[in-house]
Amino acid sequence: MEVFEWLRLIVGGALLLCGLIIFLIELYGVFHLHYVLNRMHAAAMGDTLGISFSLVGLMIFSGLNFTTLKIMLIVIFLWFASPVSSHLLAKLEVVTNEKLSDNCQRYSELSDLEKELREQREKEEEAEGKV
Amino acid sequence: MTVLAMVYQKLYIGVLIILALMLFVCLIRAVRGPRVADRLMAVNMMGTMVMVMIAVLALLLKEGFLVDICLIYALVSFLAVNVLAKVYIGVYEENYRKRHKYDDRKNKKGDEENGSF
Repeated sequence: MEVFEWLRLIVGGALLLCGLIIFLIELYGVFHLHYVLNRMHAAAMGDTLGISFSLVGLMIFSGLNFTTLKIMLIVIFLWFASPVSSHLLAKLEVVTNEKLSDNCQRYSELSDLEKELREQREKEEEAEGKV
Repeated sequence: MTVLAMVYQKLYIGVLIILALMLFVCLIRAVRGPRVADRLMAVNMMGTMVMVMIAVLALLLKEGFLVDICLIYALVSFLAVNVLAKVYIGVYEENYRKRHKYDDRKNKKGDEENGSF
């Protein structure tokens, strides 16, 4: 049985360290990117993937008991809560920033963006065809 | 104390130290962030890391009730971020309306004087 205990330590520790690495990537992204709406992309990663990895590692450490169930409840709650708060923060930024078009391009309709993307793709395909 | 228990304790303490260092980095972002949304985002990130810290502490001290505290921390952090975002949007809209009401009145007055309705 000793072997299984060590195996549990290795698997749980690997998951916990994966979670920490995701947190590190999140911090790197938050300092690397230049605008809030870009940074939010990096911050959302830690809220869902990072904490899921860490808490699944802790669940493996704690074994089969009621604590595991409660930790799972935290993960499930965060899956619902994190997109909602990200959405509200993005709304806050878009509503309150008066110089939004300095940092990102706004389209009044979605079809405008689709048209531009299609034109860009056609141009790229033409360039590839020439080469 | 067996070898396994010692390894577990070392691992938990190492993870706690790393998380504490990352928490400080988050704090730097919260102080430096040029916009309000930056600061709120940093607070949200700090909340996530503190949640992991509390869960690790629950297993380190073998106290199951700390996980309940972690759950309540998640609820309160979610509530705080949402309420602050809503309040900032409300305050901004209030100020915007006040500013533009004044502008509108001035414009309308100008229109009346020029007789062009």
